[in-house]
Amino acid sequence: MGSLSSRLLIVVSVLLLVFFGVTIVVLDSAFIKAREQAQQDILDGHLMALLAAAEAGEDTLVMPPDLRESRFGNLGSGLYADVRDEDGVQIWRSRSSLGLEIPEGTFPDMGNHLFLDEALDDGTPLATLSLAVQWEFPDGELRLFKFKVAESLDSFNAEIATFRRQLFGWFGAVALIMLLAISIALRSVLRPLRQIETEIGDIEEGKRSSLSEEFPTELTGVARNMNLLIGSERARSDRYRFTLDNLAHALKTPLAAMRALLNEKQSVEFGARFNDQIDRMDEIVRYQLRKPASLATENLGLASIPVDKEVRRLIDGLRKVYHDKSPNIQATVSEGLMFRGDTGDFLELAGNLLDNACKWCRHEVRITVEPAENSNASASGLQLVVSDDGPGIPEEAADALLQRGMRLDESTPGHGIGLAVVKDIARSYGGQLSIGRSTLGGAEIVVTIPA
Amino acid sequence: MRLLVIEDDLTLRESLVRKLVEAGFAVEQAADGKEGLYFAEEYPVDLAIIDLGLPGMSGLEIIERVREQGKTYPILILTARDRWEDKVDGLSAGADDYVVKPFHFEEVSARVNALLRRSGGWASSVLTAGPVSLDMSRQELKVADNAIELTSFEYKIIEYLMVRAGKVISKTELTERLYDQDFERDSNVIEVFIGRLRKKMDPDNSIKPIETLRGRGYRFALERNQSD
Repeated sequence: MGSLSSRLLIVVSVLLLVFFGVTIVVLDSAFIKAREQAQQDILDGHLMALLAAAEAGEDTLVMPPDLRESRFGNLGSGLYADVRDEDGVQIWRSRSSLGLEIPEGTFPDMGNHLFLDEALDDGTPLATLSLAVQWEFPDGELRLFKFKVAESLDSFNAEIATFRRQLFGWFGAVALIMLLAISIALRSVLRPLRQIETEIGDIEEGKRSSLSEEFPTELTGVARNMNLLIGSERARSDRYRFTLDNLAHALKTPLAAMRALLNEKQSVEFGARFNDQIDRMDEIVRYQLRKPASLATENLGLASIPVDKEVRRLIDGLRKVYHDKSPNIQATVSEGLMFRGDTGDFLELAGNLLDNACKWCRHEVRITVEPAENSNASASGLQLVVSDDGPGIPEEAADALLQRGMRLDESTPGHGIGLAVVKDIARSYGGQLSIGRSTLGGAEIVVTIPA
Repeated sequence: MRLLVIEDDLTLRESLVRKLVEAGFAVEQAADGKEGLYFAEEYPVDLAIIDLGLPGMSGLEIIERVREQGKTYPILILTARDRWEDKVDGLSAGADDYVVKPFHFEEVSARVNALLRRSGGWASSVLTAGPVSLDMSRQELKVADNAIELTSFEYKIIEYLMVRAGKVISKTELTERLYDQDFERDSNVIEVFIGRLRKKMDPDNSIKPIETLRGRGYRFALERNQSD
């Protein structure tokens, strides 16, 4: 598709080319026609002068040695003339044509002017005018003669060339100036479009929440609709989360109450089986409600969140929760690293991984967040690595989790739900989860989120 | 010890309170945020259990207000919202631990005991000082490896004193924290119980675990064994 401005420039250039081309052709042909006419008039004048100078001799015409027009007398002056009789025999030629062969050409009908483009032997182009006249001699005889003047077209052609050079020069300059002016105008006309583009980019990066209102009339509609769309997306995702929250609270409190009642009754076997059912319901609700928020928002209008701050908050919280165990949590976060997406999703990713690590570690937990390979810090791609010095995750279990995904009815309460959630969230951001063994000795989970 | 439970679901709250009382705690309860905040600010509380989703005022707000007032007692949050965002919000607001609904009561009581112990500066659930060891999860007291039979009230007193080992606890505080509200508040009863405890733990008056400071109260006087 190319850019709008380049398309416009191409169209304008083609139009300019056609317009100037036609103008040049028209001007050129008009100029040539006028010059030709002038040339013919001049030749005609010379011819008339020759006719006037000619005198009848005994049996042929006699020309004076010096003609009024001095160019007939100068050798190679470019103006030539000759007179031929009825049989085509040259009876006179101008001095200027000495050593040159004026082409005989065709014999025109009596009294007719005949203009021709001819050439000398050496190729010099000539404009010629021939006239056949009947001359009455003193003996009363009428004889036919052909008068011919020829002028070299060299100067004429030079004149035309100069004219064309000037024509092309001026028009070229004008065209260039116009193109320049148009591209400058285009730039200013298209500036609002660029601004919209920048602002949408800012929204994606979370630097602003909506498009500004200062757009030309043609774009205000687009901007307004865009804002409405962003607003409704946000409202929808807020509503979605609100609904989930309500659902969670509405479902889980009764579950908790049921369990509490059950434990009081203490009818051992029935209670245990009932409890299993509650556990399963709980797992289902928990898994479904922790699904990534971004599924509903498609990343539109999501702000970027500072990874550093959220990781610190998480670790502070976990230090409280694991106070008795007090694992040594080391965090390395690239400075200024941002996560483009939902805060809750990021906390879910890092929180589940860290929680697992704290649960299984002996003493050491490490978390590293850095820009993903092939992306710089300002882009949102990142790599999250959480490792511990615990027993690690057996390969079969890791494979099963990574291949099969989470099937609710197969899941055992308390196992792997965190990782399944992490995997789902990573996937919803187009990322990956891999499970390996860390240099600390325990599990190492790597989550890669592309930009 | 006096606990505060703020939970709006009646069934859940009553059941939780009943079991906490059975486990030997004195318990205040509130059914909504406003009432909860009043109790949390005005009552002598050793630990609060707060549901995050409350009518009137959110649990988060209560926690923030309580912490702003400089109260340092441990807070355990109950949350139906399992997302880490909610847990982290609660923990950053000043809560110390969380339990996700639906929970087993054992989970809550384990966390409560751990938090209480922690707030007294103990790292393990078995408190040991000299020859005395108190297993809070089993509610068992041993002196030089001999189990001591205690009534539930005697246990409450020695637990309260030992968790706060080294600190002076007034008779008023003991009555307030250990009795339920409508109990006859007679400080003589405390003296009687302390006397019985001394007799049971230290029949030949050799280790002197409980010290009396005239006019001020009592103190668990043995050095803690834990390095924590």
